Amino acid sequence: MAADLSAAAAADPDGPDAVRLTWRSWPRSKVEASKCVVPVAASISPLRTSPSLVVLPYAPLRCKPPCAAALNPYARVDFAAKIWICPLCFSRNHFPPHYAGISEANVPGELYPQCSTVEYAPPPLDASPPPPPVFLFVIDTCLIEEELGFVKSAMRRAIGLLPDHALVGLVTFGTQVHLHELGFADLSKIYVFRGTKEISKEQILDQLGLAAAGGRGAVAAGFPNPKGLPQANGRLHPPGSVNRFLLPASDCEYTLNSLLDELQTDQWPVEAGNRALRCTGVALSVAAGLLGACVPGTGARIIALVGGPCTEGPGMIVSKDLSEPVRSHKDLDKDAAPHFHKAVKVYDNLAKQLVNQGHVLDLFASALDQVGVAEMKVAVERTGGLVVLSESFGHSVFKDSFKRIFEDGEQSLGLSFNGTLEINCSKDIKIQGVIGPCTSLEKKGALCSDSVVGQGNTTAWKMCGLDRTTSLTVFFDISPSDRSSQPGYPNPNLYIQFVTNYQHPDGQMRMRVTTITQKWVDSSAGTEELVEGFDQETAAVVLARYISLKMEMEEEFDATRWLDRSLIRLCSRFGDYRKDDPTSFTLHPNLSLFPQFMFNLRRSQFVQVFNNSPDETAYFRMLLNRESITNSLAMIQPSLLSYSFNSPPAPALLDVASIAADRILLLDAYFSIVIFHGMTVAQWRNMGYQNQPEHQAFALLLQAPHDDAQLIIKDRFPVPRLVVCDQHGSQARFLLAKLNPSATYNSAHEVAPGSDIIFTDDVSLQVFYEHLQRLAVQS
Amino acid sequence: SLPRPLDGDEEPRILESYPLNCHLRFLRLTTHTVPSSQSLLARWHLPLGAVVTPLAEVPEGEEVPIVNFGTAGVVRCRRCRTYINPYVTFTDAGRKWRCNLCSLLNDVPAEYYCALDATGRRLDIDQRPELSKGSVEFVAPTEYMVRPPMPPSYFFLIDVSVAAVQSGLLEVVATTIKSCLDGLPGSPRTQIGFLTFDSTLHFHNLKSSLSQPQMMVVADLDDVFLPLPDDLLVNLSDSRHVVDAFLDSLPSMFQNSANVESASGPALKAAFMVMSQLGGKLLVFQSTLPSLGIGRLRLRGDDPRVYGTDKEHTLRIPEDPFYKQMAAEFTKHQIAVDIFAFSEKYSDIASLGSLAKYTGGQVYHYPAFQAATHHEKLRYELARDLRRETAWEAVMRIRCGKGVRFTTYHGHFMLRSTDLLALPAVDCDKSFAMQLSLEDTLMTTQTVYFQVALLYTSSSGERRIRVHTAAAPVVTDLSEMYRQADTGAIVSVLSRLAVENTLSHKLEDARQLMQLKLVKSLKEYRTLYAVQHRLGGRFIFPDSLKFLPLYILSLCKSAALRGGYADVLLDERCATGYSMMILPITRMLKLLYPGLYRIDEILTKGTDNLDESLKPLALTSQCLDARGLYIYDDGFSFVIWLGRMLSPDIVNSILGVDLSSFPDLSRVQLYEQDNNISRRMMRILKALREKNRSSYQLCRIIRQDEQPREGFLLLNNLIEDQTPGSST
Ligand SMILES: [Zn+2]
Ligand SMILES: [Zn+2]
Repeated sequence: MAADLSAAAAADPDGPDAVRLTWRSWPRSKVEASKCVVPVAASISPLRTSPSLVVLPYAPLRCKPPCAAALNPYARVDFAAKIWICPLCFSRNHFPPHYAGISEANVPGELYPQCSTVEYAPPPLDASPPPPPVFLFVIDTCLIEEELGFVKSAMRRAIGLLPDHALVGLVTFGTQVHLHELGFADLSKIYVFRGTKEISKEQILDQLGLAAAGGRGAVAAGFPNPKGLPQANGRLHPPGSVNRFLLPASDCEYTLNSLLDELQTDQWPVEAGNRALRCTGVALSVAAGLLGACVPGTGARIIALVGGPCTEGPGMIVSKDLSEPVRSHKDLDKDAAPHFHKAVKVYDNLAKQLVNQGHVLDLFASALDQVGVAEMKVAVERTGGLVVLSESFGHSVFKDSFKRIFEDGEQSLGLSFNGTLEINCSKDIKIQGVIGPCTSLEKKGALCSDSVVGQGNTTAWKMCGLDRTTSLTVFFDISPSDRSSQPGYPNPNLYIQFVTNYQHPDGQMRMRVTTITQKWVDSSAGTEELVEGFDQETAAVVLARYISLKMEMEEEFDATRWLDRSLIRLCSRFGDYRKDDPTSFTLHPNLSLFPQFMFNLRRSQFVQVFNNSPDETAYFRMLLNRESITNSLAMIQPSLLSYSFNSPPAPALLDVASIAADRILLLDAYFSIVIFHGMTVAQWRNMGYQNQPEHQAFALLLQAPHDDAQLIIKDRFPVPRLVVCDQHGSQARFLLAKLNPSATYNSAHEVAPGSDIIFTDDVSLQVFYEHLQRLAVQS
Repeated sequence: SLPRPLDGDEEPRILESYPLNCHLRFLRLTTHTVPSSQSLLARWHLPLGAVVTPLAEVPEGEEVPIVNFGTAGVVRCRRCRTYINPYVTFTDAGRKWRCNLCSLLNDVPAEYYCALDATGRRLDIDQRPELSKGSVEFVAPTEYMVRPPMPPSYFFLIDVSVAAVQSGLLEVVATTIKSCLDGLPGSPRTQIGFLTFDSTLHFHNLKSSLSQPQMMVVADLDDVFLPLPDDLLVNLSDSRHVVDAFLDSLPSMFQNSANVESASGPALKAAFMVMSQLGGKLLVFQSTLPSLGIGRLRLRGDDPRVYGTDKEHTLRIPEDPFYKQMAAEFTKHQIAVDIFAFSEKYSDIASLGSLAKYTGGQVYHYPAFQAATHHEKLRYELARDLRRETAWEAVMRIRCGKGVRFTTYHGHFMLRSTDLLALPAVDCDKSFAMQLSLEDTLMTTQTVYFQVALLYTSSSGERRIRVHTAAAPVVTDLSEMYRQADTGAIVSVLSRLAVENTLSHKLEDARQLMQLKLVKSLKEYRTLYAVQHRLGGRFIFPDSLKFLPLYILSLCKSAALRGGYADVLLDERCATGYSMMILPITRMLKLLYPGLYRIDEILTKGTDNLDESLKPLALTSQCLDARGLYIYDDGFSFVIWLGRMLSPDIVNSILGVDLSSFPDLSRVQLYEQDNNISRRMMRILKALREKNRSSYQLCRIIRQDEQPREGFLLLNNLIEDQTPGSST
């Protein structure tokens, strides 16, 4: 069974280019494009590793400015004249002298047809060792003893996993911020910052004695620099400052461990009826200020472990008074969350600072209540940080996820730094923007569309942190010039090139170039070509991302209504039917699953936000925006596998009818994985049959979903929550909530024995589909 | 020449006529009389007042007895709150007692009742120290407490800027404190804490559960805050290992620092925040001019043109109101500040010292501190400061009988109401002076009683009241006032007045005022005797005041008042002034008229009786013989003068090497060498130091004609010589 799943994974739906488009054939005109309903967009995973990826040990040839596209397999090459013609702008470029030897028989790697995606790893410009990765831990100490204990053991494990040369720093915070000077002799020395006060980067540096010459105590940092550590790209800062606060892991392991031994929960008393005073905002600005002073421009991440809401100072999300609840979606809706906008502004500024410095904010939030993920989202997402939300630092969702960011080898997340993405495309295509973990670099140009989606007004984006799963969604505008819309226009193909520069985990700078081509279609004649090129999975995910953004940005946006209308429009345009005859309605296979996706999207956490807290919603959205299409689709429409004696594990309908007493179901809803034992299976298990030799088959049946669940968990970040439950057990709700309520207490149908019903007023998929048919065929 | 006080302080012989009075070490009046009228007082011209040393050290066996009234409560006069004392009288078969200060008849509490004998004495008088001794200490019941008695608490505020590191100061401070930990009063309740600072403030977390201290840096000088709610001032016993670890690492903790800044003001605020709950002693170790944050000070006093103008005195008072405000806050919260100042450059002792002035503290000055030279002095004085018995959260009041009233007080304290001195901490090294005035009416009583009451918390955590009672006769005759005059007390009061005068007047004016008082007084005396004995024209003065002229001369030549801009460094002048404000009488007189001894003969021949062999000499260069070796001792330092023609043998024996290999005598340290001369030398120094336990005389060696050191260290101090910059 496991083999089956990995085989499925091997059939990579993203292909070697890791680019998935909502439409693989593009309408020629703006009007036609708008009739397509689903936006023209691409979901790209710039650093996805493919076994066939070619890495070239030199720098690419670039087309003449302003195009600057990298040479790619779609270029026309005149080997005799040593000239290549850029497919994007049609400029003629001469090959430089060192390409003199090329010929049809001796083609450089970047021109191989299979090298539509290629990576350049030119040798570094100077011989100095690449900069080490930097990890600045920011740890909340307003925790109960038990939680702090979990944090400590997670930290100890992390310290053990850090590469020796990685630079490590430590900030702890509660009522105040403690920045630990790890390089201070044998003593523990802590810089303390007030938690209530906004503090500028300059003030932080001044107080740390890191300010540029002339600052107070500029001569204070008299510590020698024993290892000749890199001085951050030669920018000016006092010698020794790096290894006052950031030390190679091998040098400070002992210090860190003894610091952890003595680390206590916040010592300030918490008055009755109050929350602990927690200054997350100031802690993060101190961390950002330190990194900005010590290691600007090199890959560094702030790893924040937060166990509760910020209750004082900038970034505060709720007052310390317990009688004031943390804001809910309702409060946000009614504009009754007094701290929200102020806090978002604070984190937005933090994001700008971090992006400017090239640094990442990772957020590990573990608490029963909300901690302010919704407010901090902007800083995490704009810097390409990781986010993990769990109930406790003792929960495997935190523990195992946290460990993974330090793991090496095959398990490595491939954490890379300082990425920039540049997009270049054929004329007539404009870029509206990007949804995902990045920040617009505001590099405006002819390719920028006036209508902006997400991070727009640019052809370049910064990704301070990115990894092999990072995905971005690029939205395009079709905007043909008058000339090109004339019939008989020569070029039937369009080209888009994605260029990603980034600092590889080994520290070296690399460049990934992906060039794709699609064809233009004239849809005025008919829709077949368009439908042929429709990717309903990508379309569903892109719509989910798109409406999530709209829900955040636009007050009063009614996502359900918008989705319904879009679906009806899409079906009416691309479905086969006779007008006003619902029974005649059919959909092309490329579209057939789409209504179900929309049905589930409407019921999902992305649209039904009131079922969750703003923190959870923010968390779900961040992951929706940065995951692959396949994983994101699981968030919208979970997959369900059924295990029984009679048949091999098989996909089951995401429907309450799939429940049976003698089955085990495995639900993958991305954030959680549920193993659900039918009643009979549970009884047998409780009676211990699996331990009896004659019931080995039962033991295998019980084990199989666990093995498959582990396969999923192993490959996923954040690690999903694993729920093992039995039919009619209290945890069963984790499954039932995701199932199509084909049988509810309202159903007229007889309920089969051993099956289940769902207590809901939601309409079932069948009812939904019937409505759709009726409305789609209406004239 | 004038009579010379070569034997130092001579206590008057009052106790013979008033055996029930408290000992003179606790209370001395400028004249042990009270004039009966304003007109008589007007002819006295000298201060009428007292010098009080409430906690003066006592020889073994003369300890002040402790009295616990138990359920009876402290017995006091209902009206004037006088404590019961040997001068009260019992009547009505012992059921009533009459207050000796206000004459009110008080009931004797039932628990305190005792029958009287035929002469009206209580039968239990011998078992009752409060009825038989001038000094007693009452255990105060809870109504004398506004809060539970505080534990002794010591907070160290240490400037760790580069000067402190390079001078070796941190090492000396750390090892000294560590060596004193076992001797700190009040174990096991004693509290301790440290705050170091340069351009930032370093708090030290001494929580007992830590294995080593944690340094917590607060750099926000504009808005100082505490980095911890607790554990910055900790119980010494509980956190002893952390405190030890801290002191062990203190010398090296800042060894690589090149920080020249000193955020003293913010550090003081921080210390206040740490200590304000509890109170205690704050010991400030300042190595440079406060340069950052609130209370930053500037170089001043380097302009000679200010001298002689109306602005001159401003150099000697704090420029920034911060220090006085801070001192007021400290006092309010029972915090006493001791200043240890070490800078080789100007560090504005005038401002820093005001912290000590208003909190009952003390100023120690070690200009240009170098561990090699000064470590013994600092070690000794710091250890004494830490180990001496200290009274905490104290208030002192001196009551007196009808017709007289104390009007002014001089010393280190904060006046809480018209007659209540707030003393966050007080000890045996602190004296207070006060002046009396007569109420308008004629004195009708024969005797005036004085009662000093010091309410304090002992290091053992007991609330106590130390009470000293004394009686003095009312006199109608000026000559009686002269007869009972106490030169030591007069000089002590006058010195304080003179120092205070320098804070509002030119030095010149302050000196003239002293001389004027002397002249008026002597004129009055002459008039008195010219009338009685027809001795017109001769310069005469009473026997009791025979040393007064020379002491006044000395006072005018002391570092606090001498000359002008160039004669004494401003910081040294101010530091001396602060010292003089608290000195007990004996030490004051020693400072004004130091001892000068020729010892070369003792060194070579030895002596059976050192005390007799050490003959004090007049302070004049005529006494200096070029063949001799002299010791000059003012109680704060020794100067050893080597005559030009002194036998090289002696010099070599003392120094251990040939004098010629010491071109710079300022760096010479005296250590005992393996020869008799050196051993005798060290014995003499030791003997002189033992007479003066409050401070440690730093030893400096000069050679005759070694200028300018000879002039600066010795010749200028030979007050009987005519020196420039002083007028007589
Ligand atoms: Zn081009
Ligand atoms: Zn009375």
